[in-house]
Amino acid sequence: MVLNMGLRPVLEVRDLVKRYRNGTLANDGISIALRPGEIYGLLGPNGAGKTTLVRQVLGVLRPTSGTITLDGGDVVANPGLARRNIGFLPQGQFDLLSLRVGEIIEYSARLRGVKPAQARIRRDELLAMLDLTPFARTTMHAASGGVRRMAGFAAAIAAPARLLVLDEPTNDIDPIRRQLLWNTIGELGREGATVLLVTHNLAEAERFIDRLAIIDGGRIVREGTPSALRSLVTEKLRLELAFTGPVTVHAALTSEKGDPGKYLFDQRDLPVISTWLGSLREAGLLGDFRIGPPTLDDIYAAVMAPAPELEAAS
Amino acid sequence: MSALRQYRDLVSVQLRSMRDEVLMIAVIQIVLALGLVLGMGYLIPDISKMSATFLVTGTATQSFVTMGLVMLPQMLAQSKAEGRIEYFLTMPISREAYLLALITVVAITALPGVAFTLLFGAWHYDISLSVEPAFFLVMVLAVLSLAGIGVAMAMWSPHLQTVNAVTQLIIFYVLFFSPVLLPASQLPELLQLTAKLAPPTYAADGVRATLTDLPNTSLARDLLVMSGFAVGSIALSAFAIRRRG
Repeated sequence: MVLNMGLRPVLEVRDLVKRYRNGTLANDGISIALRPGEIYGLLGPNGAGKTTLVRQVLGVLRPTSGTITLDGGDVVANPGLARRNIGFLPQGQFDLLSLRVGEIIEYSARLRGVKPAQARIRRDELLAMLDLTPFARTTMHAASGGVRRMAGFAAAIAAPARLLVLDEPTNDIDPIRRQLLWNTIGELGREGATVLLVTHNLAEAERFIDRLAIIDGGRIVREGTPSALRSLVTEKLRLELAFTGPVTVHAALTSEKGDPGKYLFDQRDLPVISTWLGSLREAGLLGDFRIGPPTLDDIYAAVMAPAPELEAAS
Repeated sequence: MSALRQYRDLVSVQLRSMRDEVLMIAVIQIVLALGLVLGMGYLIPDISKMSATFLVTGTATQSFVTMGLVMLPQMLAQSKAEGRIEYFLTMPISREAYLLALITVVAITALPGVAFTLLFGAWHYDISLSVEPAFFLVMVLAVLSLAGIGVAMAMWSPHLQTVNAVTQLIIFYVLFFSPVLLPASQLPELLQLTAKLAPPTYAADGVRATLTDLPNTSLARDLLVMSGFAVGSIALSAFAIRRRG
């Protein structure tokens, strides 16, 4: 990561409002600023307004009000600025029909202004870097969902860009390739790329994100570094466990998004929880368990807990 | 990057992205052409040379209609629904180059059907077709006007289903109620009036004017009207593609 705190933000969104023609308020006064070299996470439930925000940043949707600047240039007035300077991986499946994996990467570079010979060199580099060389001549139709997603990611980074916008980059990707992709994103950040990362995969993203914003109902409800946001649940501990028989869950435990194996509890309840776990083990009702500090998932669950009525966006 | 290089790369991307479908499209066009050329012939046992010429040139025009006004808008509407068009629009490419690339692909994919229809029809009915240089201009304008309208339809329609329904109506109209395959004089007055507003009428007439000596064609009018439709529909499409919600 190369963070240049004093420099002008690469991307700055100020008081952004987007109301669709049907009256839906998808973005309601959003302000974010991405510093050079920063990996910035955007988290939120479906319909929170993330995709609407991304489409405006990309210059394909005009805001109702507010400003978006890229390196100080006005994206709202000059959407070409976004097209020339942003590499983009869309959320939807990246299946350009019968195009081959290698062609997707090469033509993405060419259409973003890279000369043909250099585009071929870049294609081969990315195929090797992302372990896609065996699939270079595989058509997108014939490739697995994970290979298609990796090809889309390679296409997004095929040409130099001031900002990378990656919308759910790890969807459909197997664990090994997923690690490769996260490592590459981390490497891009270390090399100074600025990344806007839309993701639901908090546990994986946590290691690479410099700052994140949680968006809900079209508004930013929390923003900060992962460690700063973790302080929101600093008095909590996370318990992951597996029961081997019917058990009434201890009243001090709070289920995480209804997941029967993941709970949060107050640190002050640690003695009673330890006693309870011991009794379960003696009764043969407890498999493996683990107690640890809260993760970004817990922060997200804590922030979203009141879950106000979500407004349908986009 | 020059708009010309963008256009060339976009045509290449579109053609490569259709490589699995190209054979199927060619087969569909040839089967459709065979069906019309042979089938209509069975309907009229002692078909005259003039009627056969009318039928063959109308069927050739039908290939442009099928590609430009049916398959292209359906494919584009599908791409729009799946977000593929928006993906291209996030790239630093000329919108006009993107539209022209789509239309060029239609022309390329329609050509086998047109060529097969003319060659097979001329052989089957033993008619002679003489290609005037203006035929190539007619082909260009026919593609630009028909595919231009196809693109505009896809860009402005709110739903994929709307495009699918409208294209079904178009093919039905062109096959049975327009002067593409039937002489205008045999159509009721209302349909003769409707035909004056339909671009396939002028594409078919232009093809006949430059390949045959059939009477009552008007090449200058055809070129003018097709140019108007081409400019209007492409401008409308460019406006749609530049809109930002």
